[in-house]
Amino acid sequence: MDAEQAAGVQKSSRRRGISRKFRRTAWFYFFISPWLLGFVFLWIFPLVVGFLTSLTDYDGLNLANLNFVGLRNYARVFTGEDRDALFAFGQTLKWMALNLPAWMILSFILALILNQDVRGRGFFRTAYYIPSVIPIVALIWVWRIILDRNVGLLNALLNVFRPGTAINWLTTYALPGLTIIAIWTGLGWGMVVFLAGLQGIPDELIEAARIDGASSLQIFRHITIPLMTPVIFFVLVNGLVSGFQQYVIPQLLNAGGNIAAAPPRQVYLILSHVNRQVFAFQRFGYGTALLWLLFFVIVAITFVLFRSSNYWVYSEAEAG
Amino acid sequence: MLRKTRFSPRKTMRLIFSYGILILVTLIICVPAIWLVITSLKTDAEYNDWPIRFLPAVAQWSNYVEVFAPRHHILKYARNTLFLALVNPILTIITSSMGGFAFSRFTDVPGRNKLFSIVIALLILPGMVTIIPQFIVFSRLHLTNTYWPWVLWGLAGSAYYIFMFRQFFLSFPKELEDAAEVDGCNPLRIYWQIFLPNAKPVLATAFIFGFNGVWGDWFTPVIYLSSKNTTLAVKIASAYVNPQGHTLVTVTLAASVCYALPLIIMFFIGQKYILKAVVTSGLKG
Repeated sequence: MDAEQAAGVQKSSRRRGISRKFRRTAWFYFFISPWLLGFVFLWIFPLVVGFLTSLTDYDGLNLANLNFVGLRNYARVFTGEDRDALFAFGQTLKWMALNLPAWMILSFILALILNQDVRGRGFFRTAYYIPSVIPIVALIWVWRIILDRNVGLLNALLNVFRPGTAINWLTTYALPGLTIIAIWTGLGWGMVVFLAGLQGIPDELIEAARIDGASSLQIFRHITIPLMTPVIFFVLVNGLVSGFQQYVIPQLLNAGGNIAAAPPRQVYLILSHVNRQVFAFQRFGYGTALLWLLFFVIVAITFVLFRSSNYWVYSEAEAG
Repeated sequence: MLRKTRFSPRKTMRLIFSYGILILVTLIICVPAIWLVITSLKTDAEYNDWPIRFLPAVAQWSNYVEVFAPRHHILKYARNTLFLALVNPILTIITSSMGGFAFSRFTDVPGRNKLFSIVIALLILPGMVTIIPQFIVFSRLHLTNTYWPWVLWGLAGSAYYIFMFRQFFLSFPKELEDAAEVDGCNPLRIYWQIFLPNAKPVLATAFIFGFNGVWGDWFTPVIYLSSKNTTLAVKIASAYVNPQGHTLVTVTLAASVCYALPLIIMFFIGQKYILKAVVTSGLKG
């Protein structure tokens, strides 16, 4: 742009009274306004309302004679007055300890296998992803007829090996049952993400290591794993956040789809407890207090994970 | 380049082992789905038989006719579901693509970086925590038992799709929009006539994700809607019953097959884009 032109642009924008920068800013906010309004009214506002509710004894109807109870709803959890809350939180941790490692390791192994020179990679990848697109209610029916104690397919198959097997997968062994379903459903997603990560590892790096005489195990340990840490981190964070929010499967499968009912103790997870406070007992104040606590726990764990990532997650900026 | 011998026994062993695992997992994935279809063709008596029969004596296709029998009102629920599963994603796609366009093209604007970090935070923050507070607000506004919440959620867009559209729009050359700007196109026209028509893969993926999300959602219709205006998920979750009030298990299974089928077909049509989107939204963060 030569000087004459530049002067012209400056003059014309001065004539219009608004700079290019201002116009761009206005357009930017125009384009994001629907989302921004949504963020304010569907996220921030409800969260504030939720927080205010948690300081009261709101039961859905008593708006006229609402009582401010301060932090009593929160105190209920910490004084152990509500044993079930701590129990449900403990079950949630147990459920994640069972599900997360198994799910991540299995998806990773599958991705490793598919990352070799195998024929039909596309076919397997698609086949493994199918459970993720089956709607949850149909999924529940699939597993109801497989896990059924009396006429379920799983017990029928186990009877071949040990006649008389009648495992109650929906109550006594509800937690292993839930884990089976979750892994079956989530395997495809984990595998697709891990596989994409593996395919992003440059071939030259592995070739070079091989020329230097590294064994497959050494390559796996010193190249594959370190380069995959960002993907492992991503899958881990996702798995943790969604693990805390597991609710729908136990509620449908083990509590018959009634949101006021409690699933069997094994799969009485924290969100079941929270939602029962609200939908079975109309304790909106206490329910939202529990939600806030859960929110902070999840955010804190995510934060710690992100902090810890400096020590174990490979980042290109650092290495380069 | 180092070439290994083609038929080393170790490599052959490894391949056999790999295919073994792959086929085993394929079976584990497929058997439950196939079992659903087989059982949906049994009579309830056959379903309750022990030891179990693997195949029905006669395939009960009448179960599938019963699914659509007028007294179960399934078409009414299907219509409700279809309405929500179309309106919500279409609105979401429009508003989210606008957001993605803004975040990818107006990078020098004040406040942009802060807002974008909110988008990123929303990708990770647990959505389940807002459901009850939102429910409190919507019920005070008397919007429960209506479809308005789905419309408002749609209008608000979603951080996930904003991020997806932004990633896609980032690959568009800057010259494209510069040329259009010189020709006197304002950003709205650039967005509508250049960016959106060239984003068909993302549009299709976002639509399929959104459609699946609403179609499969069970919890939201349970808390917001009543039996009059609820969706297929709620209807099928609560099982079919005969006029005497007995549960019709295999008919419900047939209904589940019909209910899942549209999503599976859509997945097969769009799988290339869907799997790609799963990856990009995951990895390029």
